[in-house]
Amino acid sequence: MSLPASIVASVPVFGTMFKLEEKDEFEAINAWPAAMIMASFIWFTAAVLLGISMPLVQMLGLDTSLFYTAITAHGAAMAFPYVFQLMMGVGLHRSGGCLGKPVTGIIPALAFWFMNIGGILFTIAILMGLKISYAVMYPLPIVGVQTGQWSMTSVVIGFSGIALILLTVILLFPLQVIKMLFFDKERAELVLNRRTLGDPGMLGMAMSAFVLLIMGSPLLVVASAVLLFLYGLVPFAWIAWAADPMVFQFVFYIFAHNLMEAMAIMVVSAVYATLPLYLADGTRELYSKKMANLALWILLITSVTSFFHHFYTMFPALPSALSYHGNIMSWGTAVGAAITIFTISMTIWKHGLRADVGVMAVLMGFVLYILDGASAIVTSTVAWSYQLHGTMWQAGHTMAVLVAMSMMWMGVLLHHYPVLTGRVVDPTKGKWFVALYTIGAIGVSYSFLAAGAAGMPRRFASWNQEGWMTYGYLILFFGLMLALSMVIFFITIAGSRAIDTTRVTAPAE
Amino acid sequence: MEFIYQSGWGAFAVMLLLQIPFLVVFLWVINHKSGKGAGPSNTSAATVSRLKTGWLTLAIALFLVINLASIRFIPAIYSARAATSGVEPIDVKVEAQSWNYDMSAQEFVAGKPVRFNVVSLDTVHGFAVYHPDGRVLFTMMLVPGAGTSSLTYTFKDPGTYKIRCLEYCGMAHHEMNDEITVTAAAS
Repeated sequence: MSLPASIVASVPVFGTMFKLEEKDEFEAINAWPAAMIMASFIWFTAAVLLGISMPLVQMLGLDTSLFYTAITAHGAAMAFPYVFQLMMGVGLHRSGGCLGKPVTGIIPALAFWFMNIGGILFTIAILMGLKISYAVMYPLPIVGVQTGQWSMTSVVIGFSGIALILLTVILLFPLQVIKMLFFDKERAELVLNRRTLGDPGMLGMAMSAFVLLIMGSPLLVVASAVLLFLYGLVPFAWIAWAADPMVFQFVFYIFAHNLMEAMAIMVVSAVYATLPLYLADGTRELYSKKMANLALWILLITSVTSFFHHFYTMFPALPSALSYHGNIMSWGTAVGAAITIFTISMTIWKHGLRADVGVMAVLMGFVLYILDGASAIVTSTVAWSYQLHGTMWQAGHTMAVLVAMSMMWMGVLLHHYPVLTGRVVDPTKGKWFVALYTIGAIGVSYSFLAAGAAGMPRRFASWNQEGWMTYGYLILFFGLMLALSMVIFFITIAGSRAIDTTRVTAPAE
Repeated sequence: MEFIYQSGWGAFAVMLLLQIPFLVVFLWVINHKSGKGAGPSNTSAATVSRLKTGWLTLAIALFLVINLASIRFIPAIYSARAATSGVEPIDVKVEAQSWNYDMSAQEFVAGKPVRFNVVSLDTVHGFAVYHPDGRVLFTMMLVPGAGTSSLTYTFKDPGTYKIRCLEYCGMAHHEMNDEITVTAAAS
């Protein structure tokens, strides 16, 4: 048994959900992905508990520092060790099966360890007092030390963790995808369903890898310089350029915004790959591959420079021309989304749908993704940004996009689960998960958006004014519904039963 | 138009306008085509083509109408309009620092333009002005070292306006607030 397979087998509860078969012929594409998927759900469980604790802290009137601890840890766990790691695990598994290339060697191993050790280091720093929210506000970490809010040691530990996570996201994962796409030797026995770059189901994987690598590299350079200073290896004068406010903020958002877009492109690509396998007439083809690819290209081109929408309210430090460019590019992504909606709807309309639990999770995740997209383009309109920026609307958008992508990846995971573990899940329980998760996610999303429309600030430990607590109660109610859906998801996975011959007849990627 | 483009609830209404048709149609397609006995459709290529053209035309029309109509409500535009109106705005200098604001003036007269020139002295802060009814009138993001954020606004209604920081700035972020007073113009 390989190291990652042993790791999965040795972890109680979560390990049993993703344990590989004793003699797994697909271990080369299953082992590291299974370890990543398992670890992502451990982080998600922690993130959900932290998420629920936030409205509870407000309702019970507990210390505000608990709220800021929870919000920093919740945001960090959701974005990286959970959603990104889940995407990395499922994405690498399906790439392996589409290309016939193994997910083995030093790169996936480092990606797994760096992501999880990085997450643990950042969590330790948060428990030591570092409360910077998951989006680092310039230069809050240092100001916090100067004003006695937290220690320099916690900043160094926290930034070491962030650096390991960034190395995984910006360097290791894209390099592994590019290596598999262009360099590794194909192994015929690993090919489950061959896909080329002309296929929308694989094109998005390639686009995302290059976006992460290219758009993330400036941040990696700046973060490395800052880290060298924090370790005391170079004087501040050497890295002053990296600490310039515009440099720091711009490289952060060029990366952070495009990270979300890259993840979206990748998951839309996975939707394009999964949906045709569940068509009622067995066609196994999208309505139009050309339109699907066009949508991905539009999403790519428009999203690259739409990050300016994070800075509209800095006028005139951000010139109006760049603001309006960001506005139009943000709406341009909606044109790509409109084409995707048409392609998916027409595919289902023309060929019918076999509504298995995996594809229903994918489609409901897609619904959540499009609903969130509407909230995103509204807040990316310059005129509205001045009313919504910094309110719960944007917290709701961030939460909703992560929850939507998570749902789509869980759907893709349910589709691949028989190949990954040699077991199948109970479709009845699975449907309860899909229904509850969808209602919970829509409910919690509208609660956040309505709170933002009412002017409730985000990352703000004082909800008990202006009647905002009503939104807090709604967030807690729908948040608990989401948590319950995840319990059902875990029960469904844990209750999976072994298959033998059915394995080869399971709809292959 | 002012309600739509100058309030969070106006934004919420437009968002629903974009979401609800999608939600209804998409869920209907899934439900209709995944039920018992649902199978392939014999929709003609010409009908599909018409649907495609109609759908994309609608998307692009919404894109154009919503964005073109928004231009006059962009703060840079109404700040420029106020600057060229011939009425000299009252200049207010604001310095934000963890966790308070230092403002050169806090009492204004309704109907007279006020130009807020705001800087942060330490970390990223926000400067959001709330109408007495609870709406956010505008917010500004202040990045230290990135220059002054500036916006000209003409208050219409007398009352006490709350100022809040909307950018997370540390352990007492929620306590960073202040007030300004707007009095009625002498008739």
